[in-house]
Amino acid sequence: MDFELSDEAKEAIVKAKEFARKHFTEEVAERSDREEQFPTDIVAISKREKILDFSNPWKVLVTIEELVRRDPGLGISVTISAFGSEIFMLFGNDSQKEKYMNPVFAGQKTLGLGVTEPGGGSDVANIKTEAKQDGDSYILNGGKMFISNGQIADYFLVLARTSPPPSPEKKHRGLSVFVVDAKSPGFAVNKLHGKLGVRATNTAELIFNNVRVPKENLVGEEGKGFYYIMTFFNISRIYVAAQGLGIAHGALDRLVEYSKKYGEMSETGELKENLQLAIAEIATRVEAARNLTYKAASYLFKFTPNPVVTSMSKYYAADTAVFSTRRAMELMSLHGLTTDLERFFRDAKILDIWEGTTEVEKLIITRMMLKEEGA
Amino acid sequence: MEEEYEILESTVKDFNAKYVDNNSLKLENEAMGKEFVKMLADQGFFSMAGQGEDGKGADIKALSVVLENLAKSAPAVAVKTLMINSFSSVVNEKGIVDSVSNGSKSGTVTFSDLLVGKDQNGSLRVEGGRIKGEKEFVFGSDSDFVITLLDSGELVLIKSGFSAGKRHKKLGFRSIGFSSITVDSADFSIISKDGRKMLERMYEELSIPVAAIALGMSEGVSQKALDYAKVRTAFGHYLKDFQPLAFDIASLVAEMDILKRYFHDLLAATPSEKEALFLKHKALTLAKDISRTSLQIHGGYGYLEDFGIEKFYRDAMALSVLLHNEEKDMEKLAGLVFDARAGFV
Repeated sequence: MDFELSDEAKEAIVKAKEFARKHFTEEVAERSDREEQFPTDIVAISKREKILDFSNPWKVLVTIEELVRRDPGLGISVTISAFGSEIFMLFGNDSQKEKYMNPVFAGQKTLGLGVTEPGGGSDVANIKTEAKQDGDSYILNGGKMFISNGQIADYFLVLARTSPPPSPEKKHRGLSVFVVDAKSPGFAVNKLHGKLGVRATNTAELIFNNVRVPKENLVGEEGKGFYYIMTFFNISRIYVAAQGLGIAHGALDRLVEYSKKYGEMSETGELKENLQLAIAEIATRVEAARNLTYKAASYLFKFTPNPVVTSMSKYYAADTAVFSTRRAMELMSLHGLTTDLERFFRDAKILDIWEGTTEVEKLIITRMMLKEEGA
Repeated sequence: MEEEYEILESTVKDFNAKYVDNNSLKLENEAMGKEFVKMLADQGFFSMAGQGEDGKGADIKALSVVLENLAKSAPAVAVKTLMINSFSSVVNEKGIVDSVSNGSKSGTVTFSDLLVGKDQNGSLRVEGGRIKGEKEFVFGSDSDFVITLLDSGELVLIKSGFSAGKRHKKLGFRSIGFSSITVDSADFSIISKDGRKMLERMYEELSIPVAAIALGMSEGVSQKALDYAKVRTAFGHYLKDFQPLAFDIASLVAEMDILKRYFHDLLAATPSEKEALFLKHKALTLAKDISRTSLQIHGGYGYLEDFGIEKFYRDAMALSVLLHNEEKDMEKLAGLVFDARAGFV
């Protein structure tokens, strides 16, 4: 057991820190948040400077953590342009990897993933978007909701129903994944406004109205889409946990800084104990969340994913992000309200929801544990 | 609840139904507008100051009933109402009190003088008969009048000659100004020579009204969660049928109901400082907890402002920072519980 990051990962942290210091200025972060504006320029620079090195997943993980620690909205915007690409990597054919995945990894194109629907939420198997075969094509009809990169992605990986479920209990069967070009006729996007947080990220509703998709855009096998998406979530949740780490660590940074500057001192010349204990509690939770996240990543990056630890990491890191921002706000009082901690507080709450709600993560943990014990 | 308060509660509910419920997001995000403020004033919501038993201070009971019910729909409106009443409760100049009570002018009190360290909220001094300087965290900085503490310790009413600086970030109550103010004014009057003591007393008097707003917010946001959980389905079942969500919200509603009873018991008597602090402490914590759970029940939709949930999440935290300081209150509360002022190492 070695808790040390590799030198490469450590270098990635330094690089991310420097990038964030240079480009994530308070002015840009505040404006992106206020105007709900995707930071196109910064994302372009990050691609040019290859801030995300997809050849090494540890580097990607620590880069997400470090960028989000500086600013969640900008950090997530910069690190989400390849969202869903693991589906190509694991289940796509060579032609799809060449045509869609490589340009995304090269920073030339942006990807989006369309799974959630207006009436669906956590209930992925219950999606209503349909793909009907028509000659050498499929015709897609339906809608997707809360889709990251919705307005800016060049391609979307879209989950759709290609055949009716064999029974009400087996709704997860008969679903397939397609690549949809954002320029396809019949495809439309509505940007979602008024989010509580992560307002720099681009979130939209997707509408498919008789969108014709060539047969070669089917990813993997027809009918196995649910399995592909669940496999992807077991990967992406670790990166979401890294977002949680970043937010929680960012809140801790700000509380420590506040304590040094404004923290009330006791007669013995030390910070008052209530503040000391709060810092210790947040720091301990951040460290615990990091250990869980890195453990989940360690399993995954050795190609032996552990869904129990993955869900634990996502659930705990999200909870830690919400807890830490709230506690820091309470302690920093008006200083918290008038600095970027206010943004961290709003941003943190989405982690309880996206990529599987906290409740879903907890159910996965128990069900998988019981299944393992049964086996 | 006494009959007169039941009538008052019914009046606020009618007002909400007519003017607030379909407008609450706008009232939160944009300036409330003179017409709406006038309507609040016409209801008498701004003139509960000076109606206390000795003719001074506010009628805390009536004010709290109004605030609780306004906060169910629009916390920002409740906070605005509290600020006006708190302001008027210590002003003796009839013209000013009348103009604030009828909604044509507005006033605020810089409680931030107590919420952050003495050297962190700017500095105001009298030089040659003029007050000069800046105040940092002024909630209600878009008001016409401001009551604030001078460096010399006097509490003063500044009637003109101040301007609001760049707005601070706004987690909650976005329709109410929050910024620094720059002052250069000869147009002021002294309210108290022992200003900090008086401001402390005014802050203490906020306990029950702030708790009322927090409770109203808890009632408003939990009702939205209960309604949503009855109609929204996932995995073929209503959300209310999932134990984790149902137990979470049921537990918080139980806590809310107990607090509400305590709140009404306190209103029916004369609450001690300790009781008022108990209530405020618990009500603010509950508002934060219940808004988080209610947002969670709404999932992604709760994260969007259109559903009217996320504002409660923001406002619950903003309330506990703008008109309250956890450490300050806990030090006081611990002292009262131990029946002795603690040294706090």
